[in-house]
Amino acid sequence: MSDATKETPGGLAVLRELPSNVWNSIFRGPLPSTDLERSSTSFTNFFLHIHPVKVNRNTLRPAYTLGLGLISLFLFLILAVTGVLLMFYYVPSTTQAYDRMLDLRGTVAFGIFLRNMHRWSAHGMVAMVFLHMCRVFLTGAYKKPREFNWVVGVVLLLATLFLSFTGYLLPWDQLAFWAITVGTSIAGYAPLIGKQMQFVLLGDTTVGQEALLRFYVLHVAVLPAVLGLLIAVHFWRIRKDGGLSRPEKAADPAPATGVVKMRKVYGLQGFVRGPFTKVGNVPDDSVYSWPNLLLSELFVFVLTVSVILVVSLMFNAPLEQPVNVMHPPNPAKAPWYFLGLQEMVSYSAFWGGIGIPGIMVALLLATPYIDRGTKGVGRWFAKERLMANTIFLTLVTLNIIFIVIGTFFRGPNWTFVSPF
Amino acid sequence: MAVAKESHWTQPANDAPMARRRLLAWLSSVGLFGSVVLAAASNWFFFKPRVTYGPNARFAIGKPEDFPPGTRISRDVERVCIARDGNKLAAISTTCTHLGCIVGISDTGFACPCHGSRYDQDGNVTGGPAPKPLPWFQVTLAPNGELVVDKNSQVEPGTYFTL
Repeated sequence: MSDATKETPGGLAVLRELPSNVWNSIFRGPLPSTDLERSSTSFTNFFLHIHPVKVNRNTLRPAYTLGLGLISLFLFLILAVTGVLLMFYYVPSTTQAYDRMLDLRGTVAFGIFLRNMHRWSAHGMVAMVFLHMCRVFLTGAYKKPREFNWVVGVVLLLATLFLSFTGYLLPWDQLAFWAITVGTSIAGYAPLIGKQMQFVLLGDTTVGQEALLRFYVLHVAVLPAVLGLLIAVHFWRIRKDGGLSRPEKAADPAPATGVVKMRKVYGLQGFVRGPFTKVGNVPDDSVYSWPNLLLSELFVFVLTVSVILVVSLMFNAPLEQPVNVMHPPNPAKAPWYFLGLQEMVSYSAFWGGIGIPGIMVALLLATPYIDRGTKGVGRWFAKERLMANTIFLTLVTLNIIFIVIGTFFRGPNWTFVSPF
Repeated sequence: MAVAKESHWTQPANDAPMARRRLLAWLSSVGLFGSVVLAAASNWFFFKPRVTYGPNARFAIGKPEDFPPGTRISRDVERVCIARDGNKLAAISTTCTHLGCIVGISDTGFACPCHGSRYDQDGNVTGGPAPKPLPWFQVTLAPNGELVVDKNSQVEPGTYFTL
């Protein structure tokens, strides 16, 4: 009896050790103080094991990535959280949706604030995903072996736009109704199956209850799931493609076979990476993810959330009059990122809405397979990539010019007006 | 790895079992991918509604007396314009053929507020991005004396219903 109490602590000792026992059962190691512990922090934690144990120094240069991809991810997370909260008070019904918008303003605690956060994050995400694409292009980061991740990224951009488009209808105000009427009519111009596609998208011949329900389900279930899966693939590929792109001189030196002696094969890894370990054989320019990468990520996260909070406190998301199917607002404008399209559509519905955007998307998808040069990766505006960058920037500028014209220079009946 | 390559999969002792295996593998692949394609295609039929819940495409608009000669009114709920000229009456669509906005009646015909398409009195395009003239719908007189417009049957522009 007395022996047993000596071996297993009982009574007060159990109580005294309770906090540290609970803590140690959750977190496997102490706060890391050695390199070994820093490594294990990254790969024994479910939430951290997405990170490599070490990252190249270049990855952490803010001037290289501008943190745009991370900002997009954090905006997506803000959108998911605020979106789920808004779902608790929203009803996708033509008779109730608008009243629920007014309730968010009037009665729901923090309702207007959550809606602001959701709206501004959505605008922000479209902008950040687009800028992230520009960054990747202008640094030549889509080149081999990262071609497929660029393709995933283009699909992510399209999914982001479609997600934003489906969300646009949900408030069921004038802006929502007419923007979707115009937008889905553009789909009707697609050759052969255009009209059918429009009918399936709307569930009817005009925008009504069926369209609202379909857009709601797409917005809260289907598209977020697709986007989430693609984000996972996108991140996985970053690791598998050898981390973020970087200039040749910053590349992790590959072990030279002549110099490095063949060693024993360590398990399956040997088959994948070659029959030698890199550890201790080559100099490398990398730092531990804990704490370097984590602190950078935390900084970007805090920055993103702070900006969204401040903007949401300062500006309210617009809400127009309830839907009046008889009187379109004049002019009826789409969200700003589609105004370039709408401006082109005012010249020709097929070319502006289907033809040119289709060619643009096809060009973007094909970019890494057309541009096979290997020079100029990992630097902004590399001289070797002058032509590619010029073509890209021209198209981006054209799109921005069309957006500016559509936003500021178009008045009633889409006639040219001067904002000054 | 090297050992696996020497296996009977690539170097059969006898050709017959190999051919049978390949055929079976090929057939099951066709079956597998075929059913994936079928399953994907069936989504289309699921998502294409067989019944719609929107307003009726065929509707009564009232008695001929309600539209004295020279009338030109827009019925925005049904999205048609009823135009009467003497004893001839027509129902012209007010859904813009460009991108589906409702066109308003203007001095010269119709004008669209969204992208500036313009039509004449008969719905022919006179300006803007509209690709097609406004369609005309069939008008009939029901036994109860009411005029009925059927948006499912288009008629040639200029085809009036004679009262």
